[in-house]
Amino acid sequence: MNYLLHLLIYINIYAILALSLNLVVGYCGLLTMAHAAYFAVGGYTYALATQVLGWGFIPAAGLAMAVSAFLSLAISLPAWRFRGDFFVLISLAVQTFIFSLLYNWSDTSAPLGSWRNLTNGPFGIAGIAKPDILGFKVSSIAAYCVLATVSTAACCLLFWLLKQSPWGRLLKCMRDDELAVRGLGKNTRLAKTQAFAVACMFAALAGALYAGYVGYLDPSSGSLDESILMLCMVLVGGVGNFRGPLVGAVVLLLIPEALRFVHMPDTIAANMRLMIYGLLIVGMTHFRPQGLAGEYRFK
Amino acid sequence: MQILANGLINGLTLALLALGFSVVYLPTRVFAIALAGVYALTPYLAWQCLQWHLPWGVTLPLSLLVVVLLSLAIERFNHRPLVRRGASPSAHMISSLGLFIILIQFVALIWGNETRVLRTGIDTTWMGWGVILTRSQLLAAGVAVVVLASFYTWLRRTSLGLQFRALADNPVQLALYGYNTDRLRLLAAGMAGLLTGLSSLLVAYDVGFDPHTGLNVLLLAIVAVIVGGRHSFFAPILGGVLIGFLRAEVVWYLSARWQEAVTFLLLVVILFFRPQGLLGSKGRLEADA
Repeated sequence: MNYLLHLLIYINIYAILALSLNLVVGYCGLLTMAHAAYFAVGGYTYALATQVLGWGFIPAAGLAMAVSAFLSLAISLPAWRFRGDFFVLISLAVQTFIFSLLYNWSDTSAPLGSWRNLTNGPFGIAGIAKPDILGFKVSSIAAYCVLATVSTAACCLLFWLLKQSPWGRLLKCMRDDELAVRGLGKNTRLAKTQAFAVACMFAALAGALYAGYVGYLDPSSGSLDESILMLCMVLVGGVGNFRGPLVGAVVLLLIPEALRFVHMPDTIAANMRLMIYGLLIVGMTHFRPQGLAGEYRFK
Repeated sequence: MQILANGLINGLTLALLALGFSVVYLPTRVFAIALAGVYALTPYLAWQCLQWHLPWGVTLPLSLLVVVLLSLAIERFNHRPLVRRGASPSAHMISSLGLFIILIQFVALIWGNETRVLRTGIDTTWMGWGVILTRSQLLAAGVAVVVLASFYTWLRRTSLGLQFRALADNPVQLALYGYNTDRLRLLAAGMAGLLTGLSSLLVAYDVGFDPHTGLNVLLLAIVAVIVGGRHSFFAPILGGVLIGFLRAEVVWYLSARWQEAVTFLLLVVILFFRPQGLLGSKGRLEADA
């Protein structure tokens, strides 16, 4: 039972990530490889806010979202000018930059969370407290599952509303023909900046949920591999609509669990999992470019 | 002086890989992330051959041959069908990313994750002009210079080289003139495999290898291409050597752990202020993005 709840929490966290990434990849048509960096920024901000400042879950997660939304400027400002391969490179640069900050901003002589030792470097932050919401301690796994599900449901609702809104249509138009949209007098730069800010905010929320659940955070949660995994989810599931990313998140999380049941040894399972992701991506680009349940083919 | 020499040699091996990348990128517009997988695979093939007690003279050509064939297969069975289907550059890149993941996991699955070295024993050193170099560094520099020089001679002097430059310039027109662009694309893929494999072997001989270095090094090579200027076959060398110097200086003045950050900072600065690269001429970004 605990195993199922654990799985459900992971699915919730990754569903938020996939939905938020879809906003950028599917609606703006910009392939970003920096999503895990914002996920980690959210997790670290949350961990530091709870541990060093002693904040509760809601203000800490709020701070994480604010910090991440602010940092999203690092990737949305270049998106004003660059598209295609160039943009992918910029996002890789941002990813590498943030990762190396998380990895290197440390000094063993200074206490955790001080200016000289903000992230504790490769050792990570251990013992992150369980979330504390308005005095209610979320300590059992079932309670955490409820918290994660409620947050994900709220995110789903929000993203669904965004998709229905004129703003969502503006993003789609911009993806299909940016010049025409600008000709109609729409501010595409503002729209891109907003899209990235929203996407990174929710990646940070997912990061906060992850940090609170696992209780330990190290820079590897913000590594390029994680970004690639998130990108796989939206690409396999399909981008540009609401259900695609959710399908992708569920499928890509259930595959490794299925491997567990065919009794594959652990040493091979990790590699096999990634290999299956790779095969899925290659297969998708050949046979079903719009993904399992998507509607937008990548141009 | 020592820093400059180290930077130059690292830069030259990087330039080989960068050239491998742009040999594919310029003519075919395929953003070949899978080369990182090829880069990771090569030294393992060589290592395996050495385990079977094959002499170096067999090992090197054999492992290079295998990666060239692999690279050809990737072009033939992945990218050509996609081209036929009129897929976009992003689709090529995504599938290449998928292939990269498969290759890396394949390597990790068979040979494990730990770092290995190709050579045995301690390297002999050579001193002169105030620098100390190891034999493998000298070897790397020598091979890199010879290969780069022969590539440019080929590109400039032969008819095939001319066709190759034409393919990079305008593939559709070249096809209309009756040249077989599919074969040229295969040639590009083969050369990319060869250059990548060579670069990988040279580095692996010097400092060792593990399955996960591939992507980082390829990213550096791509940065080198962008910094140098994407529209030129000479740019990778300039960019590669420049980045080699820069990284060596960073190690000296700051610390090795800030290498990545500084390199990618350079990329951002270049993309903002000179998006066409150091050697590039100004064109519209929208035209080729």
